[in-house]
Amino acid sequence: MISVRQRSVLIAAVIFAILLLPPVMHALQARMAAQMLVQIPLLIAVGYLLRAAVPQRLAAAIAAWNLNGLSGLLLATFAAAFWMLPRSLDAAASEPLFTLAKFVSVPLLIGLPMGLSWPCMNFVVRGIFLLELIAMFFRLGWLYLISPIRLCNNYLLDDQQRTGQYMLMIGGAILLWVAIKLLWGHFDLSPDSQQVARLHTHDPHRPADR
Amino acid sequence: MSSLALYPEDEKLPRNERLVFDLYIITAVALFVLMMLLGLSMRLTQATWAGIGPKLFYEILTMHGAGMVGTMGLVTLAVMWFFLRKYVHLHLWAFLTNYVLFMLGALAIIISIFIGGYAGMWTFLYPLPVHSMGIGSVNAAALFFIGYLLIGVGFLLFYLDAAAAIIRKFGNLGRAMGLQWLFGGTIDQSHPKAVVASTMVIIANSLGILAGAVVLVMCLINAYFPAVVLNALVVKNLIYWFGHMFINATIYMGVIAVYELLPRYSGRPYAVSRVFLWAWAVSCVFVIIVFPHHLLMDYAQPRWLAIIGQVVSWGAGFPVFLVTAYGVLTNIYRSGLRWKMPSRLMVLAVFGWAAGIVPAILDGTIVVNTLMHNTQWVPGHFHFYLLLGVLPMALAMMYHVIGSRAQSSDDAAGDKLSLPLYIIGGLVFALAFLAAGKASVARRFATHLPEWVPYDQAGSIGAILIILGMLFFSVRIIAGLLKTPTDVGSAHPGG
Ligand code: HEM
Repeated sequence: MISVRQRSVLIAAVIFAILLLPPVMHALQARMAAQMLVQIPLLIAVGYLLRAAVPQRLAAAIAAWNLNGLSGLLLATFAAAFWMLPRSLDAAASEPLFTLAKFVSVPLLIGLPMGLSWPCMNFVVRGIFLLELIAMFFRLGWLYLISPIRLCNNYLLDDQQRTGQYMLMIGGAILLWVAIKLLWGHFDLSPDSQQVARLHTHDPHRPADR
Repeated sequence: MSSLALYPEDEKLPRNERLVFDLYIITAVALFVLMMLLGLSMRLTQATWAGIGPKLFYEILTMHGAGMVGTMGLVTLAVMWFFLRKYVHLHLWAFLTNYVLFMLGALAIIISIFIGGYAGMWTFLYPLPVHSMGIGSVNAAALFFIGYLLIGVGFLLFYLDAAAAIIRKFGNLGRAMGLQWLFGGTIDQSHPKAVVASTMVIIANSLGILAGAVVLVMCLINAYFPAVVLNALVVKNLIYWFGHMFINATIYMGVIAVYELLPRYSGRPYAVSRVFLWAWAVSCVFVIIVFPHHLLMDYAQPRWLAIIGQVVSWGAGFPVFLVTAYGVLTNIYRSGLRWKMPSRLMVLAVFGWAAGIVPAILDGTIVVNTLMHNTQWVPGHFHFYLLLGVLPMALAMMYHVIGSRAQSSDDAAGDKLSLPLYIIGGLVFALAFLAAGKASVARRFATHLPEWVPYDQAGSIGAILIILGMLFFSVRIIAGLLKTPTDVGSAHPGG
């Protein structure tokens, strides 16, 4: 019988291995929409799941420096900002060194910090994060849709515009999910806890309620 | 605690809370007077009794619009905070952060207008802010957008903290709005109306601010990368979604004061009913989608959106307004209402709200809009309900608080004069705009045709009366807030 933690790490390893398979990698990098909206999010998910591999003492030590998850959120934001630049995406599709950097940094500098920080975030920080995420999908989607020039050498204008459309849809979908969750969702709270929205149950790593 | 109780257990503000609350109120009152003086200078100019040049006029118009809307948001948020905190645990840092961000945003807006020369109006028409024909700089327009963003972030932070507190107590926002009782079940009579209203505002205004956060950043990008050309109609939709929602939310935050205070002056509990919950639920949806009534004359706008704009305009304001007006009338009918400043102001507010939305509903009708669009009918409608509806709600709370702190609900001698001055001034001022609108006087014009001037002169006289009344209110309120000894509680039955 494998534990929840082991299962998380196993799933992360399997996804990572699949993403590394040359045909899969090639297929996902051949289109802008696939690289931005499938490959990179999956790499983030790998890092997120990997938090289960962080020894508990180390996780506790990190949590002490991660008030409300803000340090992790900042790190992830900066790393994500880099991978949102068309220049970086372009290079990651055609230069092996950049591809390697992507496969290492996206899980470790975006996914993992988010995985370790999400449970520490209180309602307000999560709210700001989600609203900004939604706003960013709308802004970037809009920008990709109307940009008169190609943003990447590797991808054509129609691909770019399709990516824009998908981003608008994803932004809308997240917004809908957040709205439904807030209106009718179940929030597991203790009265004195700041930590309101717990989307992840059964997580042995979550620091105690604060 | 319950809304059936006439005198909530404890309304007393601890020291720090009181400090921040006083800061809000004093800032808001001072800003109102200042912005009214700016308004007067414009009205006098249109009336040819004063002569500020067109460049300064449009700067002042921009400042007055953004400043008044912002201040109304600030003060009604304080109303919401003051009453909501009795039912759920709000954090002072969120309330204070909103104040700080608001002031920073206001500073950015003031600099952008009076130093940078931005004069593109509070709801601007893309891409005019960055095509000012050399009058204002692109940086000034950008600073104006940043000012809005700062204010929006402050409001969002406060709303998120409030949402967390409400969810902690009621489970989720749906339960806080009483959605579980819409179709049946026994309504908990003590469910606070302040929570229902606050939740509706949190949902609707957060969506509006989200729209603003998207469109303002896109406008910033366009300001510095003009090759990124935005669709002007989409921008206009989003600007009005944000702008209309923001100013509309003020009435729904302000009305909390009526729900909370009226029973104390009528001596009668004001219970929650199924109709009340339905009204707030329906209004929550309608208020979010009513903004297309600002775009009825945009021929490129999809027809279905224009139709939504008209149909929803007829429905959006009505439900909450009707249950409130009915609730207020039945609450005070034969109750032996104690006529004190707060109760007078509340009755005025409900009248101002009622009368002020009629011209709005008319103008939200496509055939009428063809005639009235962008005439002074529009400032006629919103000055009516803002001056005689929303502001009195906030003033009622302020008078109540100073009365509570002084442990005396007696009106000052001057109140007997200032309130009639304010009301008569408000009516003359708003009706002058409406009459001008009926005569097709265009809004947002610095110079008026000779035929329009009599309306402007009547409006100016009304404005002077309002300001006299408001000056007196301000002195009373600021003195009342500053004078009181710190250890006096504010929950006294006399209100
Ligand atoms: C003594 C009180 C006031 C005076 C004298 C005044 C005067 C004016 C004038 C002359 C205009 C321009 C009308 C036109 O387009 O021709 C205006 C516009 C406006 N006022 Fe006031 N006003 C007063 C109070 C208020 C209040 C209390 C609010 C809201 C809280 C408010 C919000 C606005 C807004 C949003 C505009 C539209 C600005 C625009 O068109 O961009 N005003 N006001």
